[in-house]
Amino acid sequence: MSTTEILFFFLSALAIFSAIMVLVSKNPVHSVLWLIAVFFAISGHYILLNAQFLAIVNLIVYAGAIMVLFLFVIMLMNLNAETEPQKHVWMKLAGAVSGGCFLMVLVSLVRQATDMQHKTALMKDGNIGLIKNLGKALFSDYVVPFEISSVLFLSAMVGAVVIGKKE
Amino acid sequence: MNAIILSALLGVVMMFSGIITKNKSNITKIAAVGLFLLLVANVLNTYGGYVVHVDTHSLLNFEKFGLFFNSIAITATLIYVLLSGKEIENVGVNTAEYYALIFFVLCGVSILSSFNGLLMLFLGIEIMSIPLYILTGTDKRNLKSNEASLKYFLMGAFSTGIMLMGIALVYGATGTFALGTTSISPSAGVVKTSFLEVAGLLLLFVSMCFKVSAAPFHFWTPDVYDGAPGVFTSFMATIVKAAGFIAFIRLFDTHTDVLGPTWKILLAFVIIATLLIGNITAVFQQSVKRMLAYSSIAQAGFMLFALYSNNDFAKEGILLYATAYSFATIGIFAILIKMKDYTFDGFNGLAKSQPVLAFANTVFLLSLAGIPLTAGFFAKYYMLASVVKTGGSLWLVIVAVVFAAISVYYYFRVIQAMYFKEGEPETTTITTGFKTGLVLLAALIILLGIFPSIVLNYFYF
Repeated sequence: MSTTEILFFFLSALAIFSAIMVLVSKNPVHSVLWLIAVFFAISGHYILLNAQFLAIVNLIVYAGAIMVLFLFVIMLMNLNAETEPQKHVWMKLAGAVSGGCFLMVLVSLVRQATDMQHKTALMKDGNIGLIKNLGKALFSDYVVPFEISSVLFLSAMVGAVVIGKKE
Repeated sequence: MNAIILSALLGVVMMFSGIITKNKSNITKIAAVGLFLLLVANVLNTYGGYVVHVDTHSLLNFEKFGLFFNSIAITATLIYVLLSGKEIENVGVNTAEYYALIFFVLCGVSILSSFNGLLMLFLGIEIMSIPLYILTGTDKRNLKSNEASLKYFLMGAFSTGIMLMGIALVYGATGTFALGTTSISPSAGVVKTSFLEVAGLLLLFVSMCFKVSAAPFHFWTPDVYDGAPGVFTSFMATIVKAAGFIAFIRLFDTHTDVLGPTWKILLAFVIIATLLIGNITAVFQQSVKRMLAYSSIAQAGFMLFALYSNNDFAKEGILLYATAYSFATIGIFAILIKMKDYTFDGFNGLAKSQPVLAFANTVFLLSLAGIPLTAGFFAKYYMLASVVKTGGSLWLVIVAVVFAAISVYYYFRVIQAMYFKEGEPETTTITTGFKTGLVLLAALIILLGIFPSIVLNYFYF
């Protein structure tokens, strides 16, 4: 087994284990901390794919900004294991059945996708994820969505002011 | 492209208009003029007049179908602002910002009517949805409005997550965001598609069903439509919902071969569930506003027929349906938000005190029920006829007709309350201009009911 493969399996196991811990943890603060571990594992995968920019942005935006915001909200609302609302048993059952169906679809999908099975992702030698190529694509082929997304952010900003301002 | 650029710019103009003038009715006038300019620009675009030429790298595809829908949506918004502008001013202090958000929604609508790839679909859906989450929560002192806004935001964010998962799977299978590039092998006539793509399309289907509130993804609709300020419910239930359907049809237009025969069974299930839940639950409502929310679910079931049959007839039909449904619903909501009491009893005796309002409301309700001589009849006719044309799905048409008959019951309850019950309905002040507007809108609906070709002919010229 090469180093890349060992790293890949290690990061995958770490990501799946942390993701399960996010759901299983009773304490919301622990959930958030495990989620940060998930983001680190996924950033590790990005680095394996030679997409350093994506890896760093993923860490800065998600693990850095959004998770800190999550922690603030949880601490402000004083959520803990005791205040967690009790779900009805039928709700739990319905959730388990529908979630299980979805899991079955995804597992069978990976098993049956014969066109994907012998392909591997470009490891370390692809340069498509480098910031130079990303910038070129963003400002030539994808310049229209890039500009239009400014409308999205503008409307979100207007909304924040409308909702947040004192009348 | 004209509509996308101009609506975004007009949104900015509306924000600045709040600084220039403090008089709220002036802001409404500026918005109406802006919408008119937008309509002119879009019609120009339909006939090849570009304000600026933009190379979109084939991420956007401006067809007659989408551009014509833009014109319908902008016209409906113009009617909506002229009829209900007074109520928008009364929701809160930030009138200019509300109009700005409405223009941003129109920008999203214009993207959805002309996207040519999953990337633009995602941007369009988000630009359309995010201003709506805010408009839902504008009545800040009302707890129900706050609840509706938060619920809508959380559910909407969740469905966006499902959509992104679907886009990722489709991208993984095809390697491109573009529509209509499926991996069908021409040899032997066997459709050989990637399982990844099918799963991705299913996830996209689920999230689009959520956006157009088709059952079983409709649970947010009644609470959000009921909790939001009445004026904004009117906007959400008409223009935005119709745009969702246009996006839905454009997305699955090229993908039905990939999904194979199972696609029709899946869609038939969703259609019947939507019609069943929408119509049956609407029967038991006590509040007219909540009844209209369920009726909008039921109407979504009818619009899904365009997706089911997926032929030229269906494309004409969905445009007519969008027009008929939007115009009638805007009219009903314009009257509803003038009432003090939103229950059926609140309409008791309206025909005596406000005969013009009662008459116009009757026309709108008849149109929604699909009674002949109103626009709603031909809209429903085109939808069902398109399914008959595909052949073989006659049972679905019969089911739809049965549900249309059930829908007559709850629409006629309002008419019965207005004409055959005694009462003193309380309304806010009603101006002559408002009455004239309603009568003109009712006349337009009857005109479309007699000559539906007025709308459909423009589609070809």
